Amino acid sequence: MITNDALTSYIRKTMSDAAVSVTDRTGTMDHFSIKVVSDHFKGKNLLDRHRMVYQALDEPMKDGRIHALEIKAETADGS
Amino acid sequence: MSNPIEEEVQREIKTNKILIYGKGTKQMPMCGFTRETMQFFDKYGFPYELIDVLQNPAKREFLTKMTNWPTLPKVFIDGQFYGDTDILDPMAAKGEIEPLLKKAFGK
Repeated sequence: MITNDALTSYIRKTMSDAAVSVTDRTGTMDHFSIKVVSDHFKGKNLLDRHRMVYQALDEPMKDGRIHALEIKAETADGS
Repeated sequence: MSNPIEEEVQREIKTNKILIYGKGTKQMPMCGFTRETMQFFDKYGFPYELIDVLQNPAKREFLTKMTNWPTLPKVFIDGQFYGDTDILDPMAAKGEIEPLLKKAFGK
């Protein structure tokens, strides 16, 4: 289990400009949908954007606090 | 000495035009995302293969390193890695999946 704030701070550690919205998909605080908006994604394809999010959340993914994660990763201008 | 798991994976991604490494079997998917990925491809009507790596930690670890992608399922189309439905859905929304599959199956 992990809180939305903790998730957001993990993301912001590597993407300081990130706007993060988190939805707990099952109410168990370990199945999340997360939308990250950051200009760090500029020029990166979808796979690499998701890799960046996974790297930022590597620790809570590895220790099981996050069980399942759906990711949306966009730049500020929505591209 | 090349790695037998690597050879196995290389053979699998070559022989299966659409290949899902996931949890469970076609009859008994063990994870929502694996089922969701199968349902994604069911819409297109092309054959796909699901390979269960749930009980094979060494192969799972190899696939994670090879693709730099920490989760399952892992999808390969025509030997190329495409992540999972988080990647495939936006591609489908832009109409990129149909031509990709037609090319893969030489249609």
